[in-house]
Amino acid sequence: MLILGIETATVQAGCAIGGHEGVLASAHSAKGKRHAENLTPAIAFICEQAQIELSEIGLVAVDIGPGLFTGLRVGVATAKAVAFALRVPMIGVSSLDLLAFPVRFTSRLIVAAIDARRNELYYALYRQVPGGVQRISEPTVGSADDLASELLALSEEVLLVGDGAHRYREAFDGLTKVEIVDQGNSFPSAASLVQLAHARALREDFQQIDSIQPMYLRRPDAEINWATRDSAP
Amino acid sequence: MSDAELIILGIETSCDETAAACVRGGTDVLSSVVSSQVDLHARFGGVVPEIASRAHNELIIPVTARALVEAGLDGSRIDAVAATTGPGLIGALLVGVSAAKALALTWDVPFISVNHLEAHLYAAFLEDPELTFPLVVLLVSGGHTMLVCMEGHGRYRLLGSTLDDAAGEAFDKVARFLGLGYPGGPAIDHEALSGDPEAIAFPRSMMDQGLDFSFSGLKTSVVNYVRKHPEVSTADVAASFQAAVVDVLVTKARRAAAEVGATALAIGGGVAANSLLREQFLGACATDGLHGFLPSRSMCTDNAAMIASAGWYEYRLHGSSSLATGANPNLRLSTIA
Repeated sequence: MLILGIETATVQAGCAIGGHEGVLASAHSAKGKRHAENLTPAIAFICEQAQIELSEIGLVAVDIGPGLFTGLRVGVATAKAVAFALRVPMIGVSSLDLLAFPVRFTSRLIVAAIDARRNELYYALYRQVPGGVQRISEPTVGSADDLASELLALSEEVLLVGDGAHRYREAFDGLTKVEIVDQGNSFPSAASLVQLAHARALREDFQQIDSIQPMYLRRPDAEINWATRDSAP
Repeated sequence: MSDAELIILGIETSCDETAAACVRGGTDVLSSVVSSQVDLHARFGGVVPEIASRAHNELIIPVTARALVEAGLDGSRIDAVAATTGPGLIGALLVGVSAAKALALTWDVPFISVNHLEAHLYAAFLEDPELTFPLVVLLVSGGHTMLVCMEGHGRYRLLGSTLDDAAGEAFDKVARFLGLGYPGGPAIDHEALSGDPEAIAFPRSMMDQGLDFSFSGLKTSVVNYVRKHPEVSTADVAASFQAAVVDVLVTKARRAAAEVGATALAIGGGVAANSLLREQFLGACATDGLHGFLPSRSMCTDNAAMIASAGWYEYRLHGSSSLATGANPNLRLSTIA
């Protein structure tokens, strides 16, 4: 089964095509937040490179976040529309899973952290398991200092990966057991998305289009302000 | 295939309505589905962009699917996909643009970028294809207030626009101040039914000057008047405020039609659903001997049939748009000199 993977959760946006033979073609860009402009032409480009007609795609995988809201919605809306037009199922994968997966060959605790702006990170903890990684904490949003304190308390060797780790690097400076993965692996990749979706497709772990929704982890500001107003004395 | 047979799927997500429609040959509406988010925004007294974007993302596929089902069409029967690319809320626009481009790519049909303002102008042609040029359109909504002269398809001249608040915005703000709820247009329209429109002489800003509008002074006058006269009847305030807005809109629309020698006058946008405006507009057209066009109420507010229709004209005039098209929240009406 051929899989189209779409990933737009961070400042990077990309797409990839692959299946049991691995990834056949991929494209990504991380400049200028041109997700909406670049994504559809990029899908056309990788199809051409892989010499595949879009009609041959049997599954659409999409990064459901957490990440930057507007970018995330460009990818989710695009992926849903392609799946709807092709009448094929979908698989949604978390951006944090996509960060942890490529750096899994370690016995250390893996922490994936995406820049959530406003001095906060979206993060989750992972362990390597045969064939992949297992998430051992729910994705959450918190300050870099919160995460640093959490890691200090764990007193364990840690591999910290993601653009959030780089953005708030100084928060982790004093932690001798924490190593930050280089910039080259700090964005979720569409290639990893295709690989992870393929493993789930083999188990027929498919999702209907309507069940695919972005993982926001934050409520809209207006609702937060409203809630605060209600609880005010 | 002839242009008259072309079936265009239109998609609209520029503000708080998620809409999709199938239109054949620019005027034959096969289906038009509008899912309003008004209930989601009501408690905030206005559209909250992030809430709107989230709702569009949930609704875009179900609404599109329903538009196809109601038209009795399979995706393979769609000849082109048109979407609003601006103006509007950027996060909201991007959902519709992204979905539309992906559908066009997957079905291997042209994508057409549509200007939301142009689509409102074409709402008139959807219901009255006999309209002739030059045509003056008064476009009044929560985001816009403008007078446009259409000299031909795709040929517009902006005659005047608001210098501050849009007319619909004034309705929303005054309704909120009077505690009448959201959206303000229908609320004031209803309240005004039991009020006296001549009870309070609110100012008619810039009544004698040109074709531009100003509504922020009127809104301030309402607030000041009610603070000074707390015992005043809310219905009288609503009726008098509405009369002032409508008076200015109709006077300037007539002046515009006379200045350009228009043969027809049309109104569009959400405020065109206002009862008093509809009544006075038709009366003015009859007096001036103009062919007046009043869209149905469902065509006044945001919908995708007008997007598909404008897309059809756009496609005939300029062909398809690039799949690298993004959204432009500040898109203007491209005008001729």
